[in-house]
Amino acid sequence: MRDIELRQASSTTDVDGATPIHGGTEVVPLIRAGLLKADTLVDIRGVIPRGIDGARIGAGATLAELECDPQVPAALREACKLAASPQLRNMGSVGGNLLQATRCWYWRLDWPCRLHGGDECFARDGEHREHAIIANDFCASAHPSDVAAALLALDATLRTNRRELPIADLYRLPTEDDRRTTTLESGELILELNVPEPEGSVYLKAMERKRWAFPMVGVAAARSSGVTRVALAGVAPIPWLLQGGLDQATPLPRNAYKLDVAKTLVQRAETALNGG
Amino acid sequence: MPEVNVNGHAYAVHGAVGTTLAEALRDELSLTGTKVACGEGHCGACTVLVDGIPTLSCITLVHAVDGAKVTTIEGLRDHPMVYSFVRADALQCGFCTPGQIISAVALVDSKAAPSTEEIRHAMAGNLCRCGAYPKIEEAIRTWQD
Ligand SMILES: Cc1cc2nc3c(=O)[nH]c(=O)nc-3n(C[C@H](O)[C@H](O)[C@H](O)COP(=O)(O)OP(=O)(O)OC[C@H]3O[C@@H](n4cnc5c(N)ncnc54)[C@H](O)[C@@H]3O)c2cc1C
Ligand code: SF4
Ligand code: FES
Ligand code: FES
Repeated sequence: MRDIELRQASSTTDVDGATPIHGGTEVVPLIRAGLLKADTLVDIRGVIPRGIDGARIGAGATLAELECDPQVPAALREACKLAASPQLRNMGSVGGNLLQATRCWYWRLDWPCRLHGGDECFARDGEHREHAIIANDFCASAHPSDVAAALLALDATLRTNRRELPIADLYRLPTEDDRRTTTLESGELILELNVPEPEGSVYLKAMERKRWAFPMVGVAAARSSGVTRVALAGVAPIPWLLQGGLDQATPLPRNAYKLDVAKTLVQRAETALNGG
Repeated sequence: MPEVNVNGHAYAVHGAVGTTLAEALRDELSLTGTKVACGEGHCGACTVLVDGIPTLSCITLVHAVDGAKVTTIEGLRDHPMVYSFVRADALQCGFCTPGQIISAVALVDSKAAPSTEEIRHAMAGNLCRCGAYPKIEEAIRTWQD
């Protein structure tokens, strides 16, 4: 293993050039697999807010803390409760969850695919049963965060050490010129989420087994001022805000089933919200 | 150099940054009760308590638990849950068992008589390749008997 330095962050402006680590549930496996080539890790647990105070949620709060706090809107609570396993929810922060990398097996096995800077998407012509059905032309990876889909439906805002942004602006589709899937800059830290209280919200998740799996499809719906926002996990390379239905979907030969699952869950979520 | 309190004893750990808690426990401290199966956070075999909280030691850097209190299966030798697993015959190969017992102990610490749903929710991160789940559930339901 390469030589790595680990230091404690002294403030939120003290991370330039280093890789932040909070719970490490994503960072540690990526380092050990050689996918993350960090020379310096900076432990940010001491400088990231962690409490939950009404609509304000510290980015250092764990998923386990969110899943059982009654101040947290139902969709976000349920998304946390259905995410990962109990141990991972004890360890993983909500900020880190939003920045998790794709679970695409080609990417995880370090195939030189487009997301790694190469010029081929191996999943499109290969094994893509678990991959994206929307915006999957350049890279067909499916975003694995339940939590991000819930926050997107809830129209949450993020505060970083540099700016405030709607969660939708944290994500970008990778392109030929820029393969990144988030807009977070080097040295930028997510400090806090602001999650407005909706009139009602739900999160529904289809998985390959009953408990503890990444989302096959996750659907979050939230209603505020009579308007319902629906967002999905597991269907596009980034968390996906549904605008104008699912007819824009472009499933691949072996993952068309996801479209049926998504349509059903969207319908069920809307029914649940409208008291049906 | 990180210092970790394991089952009541303080240890200085020498591994390079990148060494996991599981590696430190097994290779440096010879506490091989903690098992590593997947090594990447999926199965729960490596579960230990860090300050009382079930934690995956295979993806925890030992340097990140500097100053923490770690409890491994060796520290639970006399816990009634161990006897309950034996009584209920809650294992086959036994490889997942140390992790199962750690999660079960944390669960009954927070609630002595959990419901079936609470058991299933709290134990979901401990996979058993032998499928001993019904007996594991029984062991947790009857641990106080
Ligand atoms: C096996 C497994 C299964 C999982 N299943 C699911 C699932 O079903 N659903 C789901 O939604 N999630 C799932 N997850 C994701 C899990 O919830 C995240 O890995 C976890 O929340 C990340 O938090 P962390 O504190 O451990 O992040 P770390 O590993 O410490 O960091 C993750 C990334 O975020 C960066 N980072 C962390 N905090 C900040 C911050 N405050 N500001 C800026 N950058 C930061 C790090 O540099 C790194 O790039 C799973 C993860 C694993 C390993
Ligand atoms: S889906 Fe994306 S991450 Fe997976 S092989 Fe294709 S380009 Fe790479
Ligand atoms: S060995 Fe740690 S989770 Fe599988
Ligand atoms: S008893 Fe064999 S894996 Fe659980």
